[in-house]
Amino acid sequence: MSLLKIENLHATIDDKEILKGINLEMGPGEIHAIMGPNGSGKSTLSYVLAGRDGYEVTEGSVTFKGKDLLELEADERANEGIFLAFQYPVEIPGVAGMTFLRESYNAKLRHHGEPEADAMQFLKMVRAKAKTLNMNDDMLKRPVNVGFSGGEKKRNEILQMAVLEPSLAILDETDSGLDIDALKLVSEGVNALRNEGRSMLIITHYQRLLNHIQPDFVHVLAHGKIQRSGGKELALELEANGYADFAEEAA
Amino acid sequence: MPDGLVKAIPFEDLIAAARARSQDGWRADLNDQAKARYHVAGWPHARTESWKYTNLNALAGSDFTLAEGGAATGAAVPEDAILAIDAPRIVLVNGVLDPALSNLDALPGGVVLTRLAEAGESDRAVMASLLSEESSTDGLPLAALNAATLSDALILDIATGAVPETAVHVISVGAGENKAFAPRLLIRAGEDSFADVIESHVGGGAEVYFSNSVTQVTVAKGARLGHYRLQNEALGAFHVALTTAEVAEGAVYDNFVLSLGARLARNEIRGEITGARVEYRINGAYMASGTRHLDNTTFIDHAAAGSRSREVYKGVLADASRGVFQGKILVRQDAQQTDGYQMNRAMLMSDRAEIDSKPELEIYADDVRCSHGATVGELEEDHLFYLQARGIDRDTARRLLVSAYIDEAIDEIHSEPVREAMKQRAGDWLAQNLSGDGA
Repeated sequence: MSLLKIENLHATIDDKEILKGINLEMGPGEIHAIMGPNGSGKSTLSYVLAGRDGYEVTEGSVTFKGKDLLELEADERANEGIFLAFQYPVEIPGVAGMTFLRESYNAKLRHHGEPEADAMQFLKMVRAKAKTLNMNDDMLKRPVNVGFSGGEKKRNEILQMAVLEPSLAILDETDSGLDIDALKLVSEGVNALRNEGRSMLIITHYQRLLNHIQPDFVHVLAHGKIQRSGGKELALELEANGYADFAEEAA
Repeated sequence: MPDGLVKAIPFEDLIAAARARSQDGWRADLNDQAKARYHVAGWPHARTESWKYTNLNALAGSDFTLAEGGAATGAAVPEDAILAIDAPRIVLVNGVLDPALSNLDALPGGVVLTRLAEAGESDRAVMASLLSEESSTDGLPLAALNAATLSDALILDIATGAVPETAVHVISVGAGENKAFAPRLLIRAGEDSFADVIESHVGGGAEVYFSNSVTQVTVAKGARLGHYRLQNEALGAFHVALTTAEVAEGAVYDNFVLSLGARLARNEIRGEITGARVEYRINGAYMASGTRHLDNTTFIDHAAAGSRSREVYKGVLADASRGVFQGKILVRQDAQQTDGYQMNRAMLMSDRAEIDSKPELEIYADDVRCSHGATVGELEEDHLFYLQARGIDRDTARRLLVSAYIDEAIDEIHSEPVREAMKQRAGDWLAQNLSGDGA
């Protein structure tokens, strides 16, 4: 059974159609990469899946774990197991990182009818996970992402993912703004979270992230549609030829 | 305005009632002098500069009777409305000390409470001179009205060098329907003393009443005074409060006001810095919903060189509520090396909410550093979505973000237990007022 099934998905923003009939099916534990030129609709797809306001789905359906995903609010989707790692994580002044993590974690537990986490045990668990990402206590105490470098913000995203243990992680241009060391660290964090129950949708412009996180499938998104699908070798082909093949009215 | 429509100055009946009760000559004199000042100052109208954004017509048009002095009312302290602080209490019911609700025996060493009604000659003289000093030209008619209608006043003395073991909590309870009362408190922090005085202004069963309070503070050389106030009056009440502070050389005055209640409230703080190395801090937060009107008006007079003032006010305005911030800093010619900072930030939770912000710097010295700023904003959709994408529902996300915003002002408070108690009441407000409505 598929974990996520997207069928003929059309979506508009401000009455402009961005997604023009996306079809995509992902099984549990699979890693899919979506590659495409700027403006192809990659980020729109990630926001539509995460449930951001302002995007209107005009046609098609998205089924997640057998449920109609589009019926759910953004927070409900998160609690059902969808995690969006943001391309540009926002800074939230005044909300301590640890408080934020605890709120998220407990929201998920409540959603599934479970009791809230013991504060001390939760702290220990987060610290252990933070350590593997080279994040110290100070970064957890500080307001969410405030004053963090680009790399630190991305590591914070991966930490949240490690704590929330989603069944589908959507990584939106996670490599953007990272130098090679930060990219390695973040990729290792992501790879450590790979398991047969967790799927990942990696959205990227460049192939370089896929050197670190090996996908099972690669899809090319252009003009609001998936133009081609293949194995990881497709990424190498794109690296060599660019997106020129998909320019203009390829649709 | 045509002459025929000019309303007579309101509340003459309250003044007459107070005067009738003033048996002893000296108090009658105080009432009379104050009445004269009230008449000279006149009732604020739309063209009165310092009341430009706060219209008192609804107050003037309401009928109040003067609260009885001294009689037991059977009122209780609303524990879930006051600041939850472990400190001995001085409880005023309708402006009059209620010894039964207070813990006067538990006042910490170094703190002495005197009631004007029972004061000796010297304290009466102090009070008389303080009252008569209130100039009629300052546009403070309500302070004059307070003096003309007060039935008692409290003097809180902190002895020279005293470091009381606990804070002192003054609680004003409005307990009479359609009653007017005039709490008056004097806080005198002696040289090198270090104390906290907390005020909670709350309703105790009554819905509509008029609390017209005046607190006069003097902070002597080298003293540190924390002065923290919660305005959490009944939602139909009128609350007009004036705090005056005179702060001497090397002293620290740490003031914070959290305004949550009342139909219309004015928090006015007028401070004079009279020596060098003063740390003058007046900070606050205001949170309003419905059609509430919360006014914060401050005046800082840097009358001496080499002192610092800091002022941070933050507000959250929901529904069709209205906030007013007027902050004036005067740096006199001799007040060189003054360092002044003022910031007012307001967050509008609805497009019907309004903030009027008027910062004002008047600087006559040439070697000073003064900055001020005002911002108006709303909750950012990016922030809300980020929290929602982590499983936090929209209402909780809103509360979390607004709470973080307000906490930034509350964190200015020096005293940690007061900080926590203020956050608790701000949290109560958020839980009651930010659930569901609007997005």
